[in-house]
Amino acid sequence: MVDDEESIQMVYREEFEDDGYEVISALNGESGLEKFKQEKPDLVILDIQMPGMNGVEVLRQMKMIDAAVPVILSSAYQEFKRDLGTWASDEYVVKSGNLEELKKTVRRLLKED
Amino acid sequence: MPELRKDPVLGRWIIISKERRKRPTDFPVEISTGSGGFCPLCPGNESFTPSEVLAYRDGHQPRNGPGWEVRVVPNKFPALVIEGDLSKEGVGLYDRMNGIGAHEVVIEGPDHEVTFADFSSAKKVLVFKAYKERIIDLEKDSRFKYVMVFKNHGKAAGASLEHSHSQLIALPILPRMIVSELDGARSHFKYKERCIFCDIIRQEIRQDERVVCQNDRFITITPFAPRTPFEMWVLPKRHASAYYSLDDADLHGLAEIFSESLQRLNRCIPNVPYNFVLHTDPLRSGGLEYYHWHFEIVPKLTSIAGFEWGSGFYINPLPPEEAALYLRESFGPTSEGAQSEKGTLG
Repeated sequence: MVDDEESIQMVYREEFEDDGYEVISALNGESGLEKFKQEKPDLVILDIQMPGMNGVEVLRQMKMIDAAVPVILSSAYQEFKRDLGTWASDEYVVKSGNLEELKKTVRRLLKED
Repeated sequence: MPELRKDPVLGRWIIISKERRKRPTDFPVEISTGSGGFCPLCPGNESFTPSEVLAYRDGHQPRNGPGWEVRVVPNKFPALVIEGDLSKEGVGLYDRMNGIGAHEVVIEGPDHEVTFADFSSAKKVLVFKAYKERIIDLEKDSRFKYVMVFKNHGKAAGASLEHSHSQLIALPILPRMIVSELDGARSHFKYKERCIFCDIIRQEIRQDERVVCQNDRFITITPFAPRTPFEMWVLPKRHASAYYSLDDADLHGLAEIFSESLQRLNRCIPNVPYNFVLHTDPLRSGGLEYYHWHFEIVPKLTSIAGFEWGSGFYINPLPPEEAALYLRESFGPTSEGAQSEKGTLG
């Protein structure tokens, strides 16, 4: 999970670990990209608005490395959808207090449903 | 002294700010788009786009795979959605309806690096043909009133990916700009019984001050009251209100004049960001005597700030007569020889 907000990381980590996932996190795009190369995750949840490399730039680099790893763009804003770079993602989920939609998307992309 | 000019169709005023006059080399250009890396529009990555609604490819190649020349797909994350009812309603004095529409992306070619301006005319024909076919198809949906076709080239003009593409949005309402254009054109027709755009073409050819280039079917001019430096309009010489009435010869003529117009623009200002927008009649309008479809090419060279937002005026530092001269002198004679001996620019 790549997100520059520690509070969001904490909530997501707790929720997904409770569901039995192992969560690796990074607080910015550059570090997320490094961890993507080293850890070879099964799926990435990626924030868009971050200092340094933004999520769409990180996404396009990740897909260059391995296009088969599903990436979910997760943002508080809908308007980034206008950026066609987001098409490289497998799904775009708007952040909300209820993680059900995000969890459902994760299960679908990991073919657990 | 600055000069105020009125667009004869819209009644929109612009200010030609001669004190701020600039040469093509004085405009800052920032073209970079996107970040490089993986491109969801490139051949081989078709699984990252929704299923195509139109593609020109070798007949033996399967759908949604490589081998295409032009590909049209629904927007993966559309601004408006295709399914549902409009459910129009009034909320007090306000009107609302569901956000129904078709939002499609035209992937103009398989080559990531090649810009639309550098496409051969034959390749441009396919893009213009795709617009026509999609408009004809979307017209069948009675919920839609208008199809807007536009292109953003360069980051400053709103493009988010380098791979050449344009967009098409079918709308359940007529855009305000088109309503104003139709009103202006209708009013001129009522008074003079002539299409205002046909009148503009006749006058521009006669005056020969703002003609950039022309061929037997199309003409490119810098309009009398342009919003930005080097704004160009591409108009069919034969009266037609519907873009989709283009025949094959028209498509070739259009592709050729676009090639020439964009090459001339690029010679003046290399890699200039620009938008182009198709202006055509509303769907199912059955051919209008008073309206005339055309493209408007608007380079992104000036910024829109408080004055423009507040007044609806645009400030343009380059008179269109000078812009036309720069464009005409950018290389050799035009296809049908727009005269360029009217003056010289330093």
